[in-house]
Amino acid sequence: MPQVKIIAKNFMDMVASLPAIKLDKLYNNVFICEAILRSLPPLAKKYVLQMLYIDVAVPATVLEEWVLADGASKHRVAIDRLIQLRIFSEITDRKRGTSYSLNPTFQNNLQKHIISGGVLPREPMNSDNSIKLPSLQELETYALKQWERFLLQLINSGQGDKLNGISESMMKIFQRGLLSQRDKDGPRLTESGFQFLLMDTNAQLWYIIREYISNAEERKVDPADLISFLLELSFHVTGEAYNSNTLTELQKNTLKDLEDLGLVKLQQGMKGNWFIPTKLATNLSVSLSDSSARKEGFVVMETNFRMYAYSTSKLQCEILRLFARIEYQLPNLIACAITKESLYNAFDNGITSDQIITFLQQNSHPRCADRVPAIPENVTDQIRLWESDLKRIEMTQAHFYDEFPSKDVFEAACDFAREWGGLLWEDSKRMRLVVKSEVHNQMREFLHTQSK
Amino acid sequence: MPSVASKQYPDDVSLLVLLLDTNPFFWSTTSITFSQFLSHVLAFLNAVLGLNQLNQVVVIATGYSSCEYIYDSSLTSNHGSFERDRTGMPPLFASLLNKLEDFVTKDEELSREEGNEDRTPSCLLSGSLSMALCYIQRVFRSGHLHPQPRILCLQGSPDGPEQYVAVMNSIFSAQRLMVPIDSCYIGVQNSAFLQQASYITGGVHHTPKQLDGLFQYLTTIFATDLHSRGFVQLPKPIGVDFRASCFCHKKTIDMGYICSVCLSIFCEHHKKCSTCGSVFGQSKLDESSSVSDKKKKASQT
Repeated sequence: MPQVKIIAKNFMDMVASLPAIKLDKLYNNVFICEAILRSLPPLAKKYVLQMLYIDVAVPATVLEEWVLADGASKHRVAIDRLIQLRIFSEITDRKRGTSYSLNPTFQNNLQKHIISGGVLPREPMNSDNSIKLPSLQELETYALKQWERFLLQLINSGQGDKLNGISESMMKIFQRGLLSQRDKDGPRLTESGFQFLLMDTNAQLWYIIREYISNAEERKVDPADLISFLLELSFHVTGEAYNSNTLTELQKNTLKDLEDLGLVKLQQGMKGNWFIPTKLATNLSVSLSDSSARKEGFVVMETNFRMYAYSTSKLQCEILRLFARIEYQLPNLIACAITKESLYNAFDNGITSDQIITFLQQNSHPRCADRVPAIPENVTDQIRLWESDLKRIEMTQAHFYDEFPSKDVFEAACDFAREWGGLLWEDSKRMRLVVKSEVHNQMREFLHTQSK
Repeated sequence: MPSVASKQYPDDVSLLVLLLDTNPFFWSTTSITFSQFLSHVLAFLNAVLGLNQLNQVVVIATGYSSCEYIYDSSLTSNHGSFERDRTGMPPLFASLLNKLEDFVTKDEELSREEGNEDRTPSCLLSGSLSMALCYIQRVFRSGHLHPQPRILCLQGSPDGPEQYVAVMNSIFSAQRLMVPIDSCYIGVQNSAFLQQASYITGGVHHTPKQLDGLFQYLTTIFATDLHSRGFVQLPKPIGVDFRASCFCHKKTIDMGYICSVCLSIFCEHHKKCSTCGSVFGQSKLDESSSVSDKKKKASQT
């Protein structure tokens, strides 16, 4: 497939790819152990829990007895994951066969955590302090506003209010892959850029954070430190204020960047600076793709292809503009229409019909979301039809054969190609055939043996 | 209307309602003390909460004559950390232990007032089961995505036959809600109620042999989320005690009389059903069974 897909894998794949020494260092932090435990597949979690107080290595045969026959594949996945993250270490003994034991640091930390509960390295501010804390509602609006501002800046770098923390060069890094730089007509969104805009917030956030981490070394920051701080942050309580004096210099700098993304809110008080994690931060380590952060939708789609979006956001307007024609904008409502031209425009930019339809479904207004289907069927059908209109011709790499010495050889070659599932076209009168290029090598060998 | 299933998280997110037996009559007779037992249970709760960020735990204390919600992880997570400053205990469970203490003293007073000497030293299982089901029902109706609920009874007290009807009704409503009732029986006798509850609702019943390793039993068997149950080896019931209690004297009986209209159970013959009022005819068996009744009574005394 020629399409470039942005894969928003989760945090733990990144952790798993760290070198062994770094990984062992990470396990010294209780919260990372906990976050990693949470990210494991259910069966792996169970194994860790079951082996938490077993000090000797457990033979693989015993482990296998814990699952039913149906679960064998899940069992293997769980074990592989545990070994990959270096939570299990494999010991092979000639007499007793393979056995597994838990990583001692990980085991110790988790035991401590389970008995005494987690204790964060810093205390939240007491509520009787002089500063007024924002309510959870306010905090969430703040986070979303900040995130939207960041996205707007990301897609049309010239306009919009400037962000204070993230430097121009950081922005460039985020835009890499999403925007293509052409000197003539300014930056344009690439295919993956368009797809990025249609993803849900969690996936987008994860993409940005991943870029942020993988870029850390260029900024002379240890990615392991950054990961451990981000994971720790996700265990702070949403809406509580924490003193930033407890942080290291590196963490303070990171916080400034995170504020721009809406992950934390910084506040200055009488006795120093405070930071308040938002829901975006605490959701970072959640392994679920569409977690509780599901927002209320705003789009009403009608059967006559007109679309009403109850939104004041500039960003939402930009996103709708990707595949619909904006007709007019009222203070709280955007009225637009899906037309053949607007959709062709979207398809040109590499957006697929499925992406548009899922976007509409995910963001449909609560009143419409209750209906089945949420988006009128004639609209979804038409979107798909228009897309398939553009794909009338299918290209397949192929090889053309002719000048067969005899009818027999030709027939044999046809049968051979058919067997391999590679025959595309044959003309038995003039003895010509076209075969997929994957089969070309086998075909050539076959013809060689035939001619001998 | 979206169905119940579609509103659940796709993964292994679970809501565990734990019914904790605090019956003093039972805890005065056991090999491990209540505080040892609690330390196992608290570690287990911590483990369950640790498995998934969205996991939720509710603890209901089941006393001798009352029961009460003593802990809800969805409520305490926001201000739990403040309490730590005062008591010096792990933040998560300081409030649990405080509430538990209050509950035990209140329960003691209540049972003194009651002063019923004849009652078996059972705990109020029916009450706490109903509270658990009410809580789950509220979660179901709250409209958002909700975790998969299950109930775990940690009980050591013997069954109270006088609660038979209430317990059975709770079990059947749990069955209808598709909420499994797991049971871990730590007492000496066998609990017919818990065996039936787990059997009917598709939960797991287990009687640990060594209470010192209770944590291991709890994590190995009862920490298994509903999603994993499909492919993990869990203890199978060996036999289920299906005996019922009669409605008239609340005794557990093997054989008895059943009203053919409403299926009420009686240990001896009545002229009229006390539940639905149907008048029973004089059966042919009556004379012969009254003879066997007398025999039974004779053997009991």
